[in-house]
Amino acid sequence: MAAAHAHGHKVKRYSGLMDWLTTVDHKKIGILYLIAGLFFFLIGGLEAVIIRIQLLKPMNDVVAGDTFNELITMHGTTMIFLAAMPLLFALMNAVIPLQIGARDVAFPFLNSLGFWTFFFGGLLLNLSWFAGAVPDAGWTSYVPLAGEYYSSGHGVDYYVLGLQIAGIGTLLGGINFMATIINMRAPGMTFMRMPMFTWAIFITSALIVFAFPALTVGLVALMFDRLFNANFFDVANGGNGVLWEHIFWVFGHPEVYILILPAFGIISEVVSTFSRKRLFGYSSMVFATVLIAFLGFMVWAHHMFTTGLGPVANGLFSIATMLIAVPTGVKIFNWLFTLWGGSIRFNTASLFAIGFIPTFVMGGVTGVMLASAPADYQYHDTYFVVAHFHYVIVGGLVLGIFSGLHYWWPKMFGRVLNEKLGQVTFWTFFIGFHMTFFIQHFLGLLGMQRRVYTYLGGQGFDNMNFISTIGAFLMGIGTIAFVINIFITWAKPRNASNDPWEDGRSLEWTIPSPPPEYNFKQTPLVRGYDAWWKEKMEGKTAMTPAEPVGSIHMPSPSILPFFMSIGLFIAGFGFMYDHLIVAGAGLAITLVCMAIRSLVDDHGFHIEPEDQDKEVQA
Amino acid sequence: MSAHNHVEGHLPHEPEKATLEARNKILGFWLFLGAEVVLFGTLFAAFLALRHNIGDGPAAAELFQLPMIFAATMILLTSSLTSVFAVQAMHRHNKKSMVVWLIITILLGLGFLGLEIYEFWHYASEGHRFSTSAFSSSFYTLVGFHGAHVAFGVLWISLVIGQVFKKGLTVVTAPKVYISAMYWHFIDVVWVFIFTVVYLMGKVAG
Amino acid sequence: MSSNHNETASNELPKRHKVEGPQKHVVGFILSLALTIIAFAAVAAGEINETFTYIILVAMAVVQVIIQMAYWMHMKDRGHLFPIIGIIGGAIVVITMVIMALYWVWW
Repeated sequence: MAAAHAHGHKVKRYSGLMDWLTTVDHKKIGILYLIAGLFFFLIGGLEAVIIRIQLLKPMNDVVAGDTFNELITMHGTTMIFLAAMPLLFALMNAVIPLQIGARDVAFPFLNSLGFWTFFFGGLLLNLSWFAGAVPDAGWTSYVPLAGEYYSSGHGVDYYVLGLQIAGIGTLLGGINFMATIINMRAPGMTFMRMPMFTWAIFITSALIVFAFPALTVGLVALMFDRLFNANFFDVANGGNGVLWEHIFWVFGHPEVYILILPAFGIISEVVSTFSRKRLFGYSSMVFATVLIAFLGFMVWAHHMFTTGLGPVANGLFSIATMLIAVPTGVKIFNWLFTLWGGSIRFNTASLFAIGFIPTFVMGGVTGVMLASAPADYQYHDTYFVVAHFHYVIVGGLVLGIFSGLHYWWPKMFGRVLNEKLGQVTFWTFFIGFHMTFFIQHFLGLLGMQRRVYTYLGGQGFDNMNFISTIGAFLMGIGTIAFVINIFITWAKPRNASNDPWEDGRSLEWTIPSPPPEYNFKQTPLVRGYDAWWKEKMEGKTAMTPAEPVGSIHMPSPSILPFFMSIGLFIAGFGFMYDHLIVAGAGLAITLVCMAIRSLVDDHGFHIEPEDQDKEVQA
Repeated sequence: MSAHNHVEGHLPHEPEKATLEARNKILGFWLFLGAEVVLFGTLFAAFLALRHNIGDGPAAAELFQLPMIFAATMILLTSSLTSVFAVQAMHRHNKKSMVVWLIITILLGLGFLGLEIYEFWHYASEGHRFSTSAFSSSFYTLVGFHGAHVAFGVLWISLVIGQVFKKGLTVVTAPKVYISAMYWHFIDVVWVFIFTVVYLMGKVAG
Repeated sequence: MSSNHNETASNELPKRHKVEGPQKHVVGFILSLALTIIAFAAVAAGEINETFTYIILVAMAVVQVIIQMAYWMHMKDRGHLFPIIGIIGGAIVVITMVIMALYWVWW
């Protein structure tokens, strides 16, 4: 590696494991999120497969009722917080600084801290399996079931503390990406010239900043009730169980928009690239995304229609919920109009994107059905709801993630994923998905309840559950095909070009695959939307630089984020098992690391022009 | 990070905004304050929902002593003003004056904390403990979180003062002063809502 | 992270900036003080109608917060668009929650 100097003294550069533990480079952090996210996705998927095996036939006894409750709780919590969000963060980290022409995010240290807190929070949560105290109150952890009386073991504590720690990382990430997008765009890139994925992440980050604190408060309140005898939710002492639902869903509803808006951004990128056509209706896309985000804060009680809020509240929340369909519809039409008349290329990435469109629409329309409060009294707590949210989350978000991963894989790793295996992944996963969840709409309409670990035969549920389970196996095969694809591709030589799809439209396709450590040797000058496409159409083979070649200043690596997260991890165990000394020690580790970070200046280091070309393989 | 400009005599007019890193930090901190608004807002919403459920404990009106709350408010408000004076001294590149004002700020902050600790101890002896009722739990969580923020702020500003002593007023330490002052103003803003919603409205309801 | 354009800021000739005096901030302080006293007095007097008292309290608090944020936190100065968006965004979320909390408890 090139020599690194800061003020005449050598800055330590690490290699191997230490490099990964101390990195503050967004590209490496993106890969860390990808590995961890995929790992948790496999765990969550395994939990799902076991759930479906248990429900394969009536009165099955593969797992007992309480294990089933643990499985559904962990499946939901893991998939949303430890798989979906990290995979989105992986793409955010890998792509956003490149798309805006920046050399890193605004706060590289915080970026690393965000990853490690997520990782240790997720680890804490999943250690519950080994501790024999797994949370089992659902991913929504409603009280009083999750309270100290009905869940007197430590299971729910793992949920509370694991999520609290992981949530810190997410909040930091939201702040980081907002500041990055506001302050660090290349010259000439006004807001209305940003790629659609960048816009989507910008708005998602705002959602994260405003939604996660509500979860923090809810988890604190539940923790205080369980560990310190508080009475937020304890009815005997004046608390209120519905309060938990309000606080949780004030967070929970924006959370699902946090999940889907990045997928919308990915679809916009993939659809326009592989139609060789500019995205239709860019301004309306931006406006629609902002509107969806704003409205997303006004609809949380549609998860609570049956709690007795009364007709006025139910009516208002119904209407607000249905309104969200309007900007969402605008986006769907814009994608269709982009595809229409375009020169469409079908590959794994574009298949996932094109498959997303009708699938998400199906999920969206069942959402409008659920939005009607009186009708919801019938749908609530049935498999109809399960079908709806899996359609939008799996059929929406996960298809979007697969699309984005296949699309940006060459940029991240310098190799294109195997296309044949990609097709296997797509078709098995897509068909398996519809098999699993389409049929669940009818199960719900027939009256099958949610969260039941088994059911009596002869109610008309048997065949449908059987088909649903087979579909889940197919999804599993698709996922395994993807994992195999990753390993096979890893063995191939790293020879992707800057613009391997040849139709790249935005700045990330102007630099090597994978990019050098500093991303851009010279910050590019942006002259319009689809900045790279614009230059290509004028016959240029590279972007015009906006600055001369010079010494590039890089942030120093640091082990502190790793230790800060370990401190929180230790504190979590201390609180849970009533060893307040241990809790204090853990918090002290974290605080001391914060003080060190503040007191010891990070001067960074420079990469000089003569070393910049040696650094091409980061 | 990029502290190439150590020479104090040539500090720019607004040293806290002199580098991209500093401007990023200030923007990032404003966004963090936006998140804190929602954090405290949620605590307020929970408090508002639960404030009448006093269980066996005393009600707000009989518990709160307005003179002491007024004193605490005055202390915190004044400390917010002194932190403004500190930042203005920084803009005049007057390191000594800045440090003096910062020290006064944290002393006032400690005074506020002392009053609050006394207040909580007094309430506990009146039967208003953390686990007494829903009202008491949400009261102590909301007001206690605010107090914890004040305590953290005192610690933070102390560390900043220490750094200024050691490294002087530079384009690296100036943003730290500015941001810790922003934080300090914010906790005063939150206190305005606390004394209004918790204490004053509590008294009225009685 | 590159330092593209601004490390040279301190090497520029000193611009002729108006160095702000304490006046505006002291005015802000006195106003905040006055608003606080009015709020406390309204409660201590005890004779004002309850609803009217609530309105006074909320009004005093909101005005005081706006004064503190505009003057002491410089939100009225240029370059503060995103801070304003950040704070107002948070405020919108909070106001929605508070309205729901009050509605839920009172109806």
